[in-house]
Amino acid sequence: MAKDMTLWWGSGSPPCWRVLIALEEKNLQGYNQKLLSFEKGEHKSKEVMDVNPRGQLPAFKFGDIVINESYGACFFLESKFKSQGTKLIPDCAGSDNNCALIALIMQRVFEGNTLHQKMVDVFMYNRRVPENERHESAFKRLKETLTTELQMWEGHLKKTPGGFLAGENFSMADVIVFPSVALLLRMGLSEDKYPKLAEYYKKLQGRPSVKATWPPTWKETPGQELLKDI
Amino acid sequence: MAKLMSLLWGAGSPPCWRVMITLEEKKLQGYKRKLLSFEKGEHKSQEVLEVNPRGQLPAFKHGDIILNESCATCLYLENQFKSQGIKLIPDSADDQAAMYQHMMEGLALTDKLNSVIYYDCSVPEEERHDSAVKRNKEALTAELKLWEGYLENVAAGSYLAGAFSLADVIVFPSIACAFRFGLSVGRYPKLAKYYSLLKNRASIKTTWPPHWVASPQGYDILKDL
Repeated sequence: MAKDMTLWWGSGSPPCWRVLIALEEKNLQGYNQKLLSFEKGEHKSKEVMDVNPRGQLPAFKFGDIVINESYGACFFLESKFKSQGTKLIPDCAGSDNNCALIALIMQRVFEGNTLHQKMVDVFMYNRRVPENERHESAFKRLKETLTTELQMWEGHLKKTPGGFLAGENFSMADVIVFPSVALLLRMGLSEDKYPKLAEYYKKLQGRPSVKATWPPTWKETPGQELLKDI
Repeated sequence: MAKLMSLLWGAGSPPCWRVMITLEEKKLQGYKRKLLSFEKGEHKSQEVLEVNPRGQLPAFKHGDIILNESCATCLYLENQFKSQGIKLIPDSADDQAAMYQHMMEGLALTDKLNSVIYYDCSVPEEERHDSAVKRNKEALTAELKLWEGYLENVAAGSYLAGAFSLADVIVFPSIACAFRFGLSVGRYPKLAKYYSLLKNRASIKTTWPPHWVASPQGYDILKDL
């Protein structure tokens, strides 16, 4: 099964990391993988474009099937390998508690997209916006938006005493969101200002699937300070 | 079941429309709903903030369960009501993968549409640049061409992932918006065919934005794309 899978990925990229974690959690180790460098522009290489015409990572193949959207790959893997590894989305049949849990997982999964976008808007500002179009006012607004978003996640984590994003157990919500939280901390987010996010980060760092897929480049170099004032 | 559901929504909003299409497809008519006005700022009212602290629509409740992300709501409804109405997640691995892929790509399409259509609403005047508008339009054009490619073989019953699925639920509303805002039928014939095939689907017709019915003439922001 895993031998029919190939993942093209970049170190530290949350979308890539989500798929790496999902593969570990579903006991699909042994897949083919190729680590590429964003800095060298390898995500725009022919090899990647042949799989993903958008020239983005992750790019993922399973036999003839291609899924290049990280959420898509994670949902698909959970669906096709439901009975092996960790159950990332509980079954809905039966208990009412599971209905509420599934809803919460889905809600956090998709809010995770908003969190990721707002984070990227800040730390990629200078790379995405040409110099003549940059404004202090715009950058300030993006930082304020990110601050509000992070405060919301602090609130989410206060409401789930189990320590995971959707209660007592690790779920798809954590697969999707943890990589973005890890990147925030890597980029200098203040643990004092965001204690629940820091606690969440430390709790999940020890999880086998997270440890096994920790970005190799992060082991080699220190983090940055970009977000320390957020 | 539907009686325990309530939806706060705004007309013409693709995220709201996605949820309404799903409710129809899963035979959950009879849910409570309240149409709110973005223009009057009703999405920031106390009533909405109590359900969705983000002050965004849709805001959906099923008993005590709250779901304010449209994709989350659609996936939840399909999973909870799997055995009623239309099956929106295909069983075959190929179609299911295509569904998840296109569903999620649909969010990129919506973002790029918004960055062009709502540029003036979201960017303060002193921060606007023609170069940014141009770049946003080029990005949207490239995105729309991708979707023309995905719909190369579009026909009745053969949509984004085979039979009608969650991919179409998520994506159709944005395609409909694109045409509403003047996208050229001549330059995007496959998208136009997809649009004309699905606009008469029962769930879509029933939930068509009311003000679009009242005034069929849209805008032409996208006519040169």
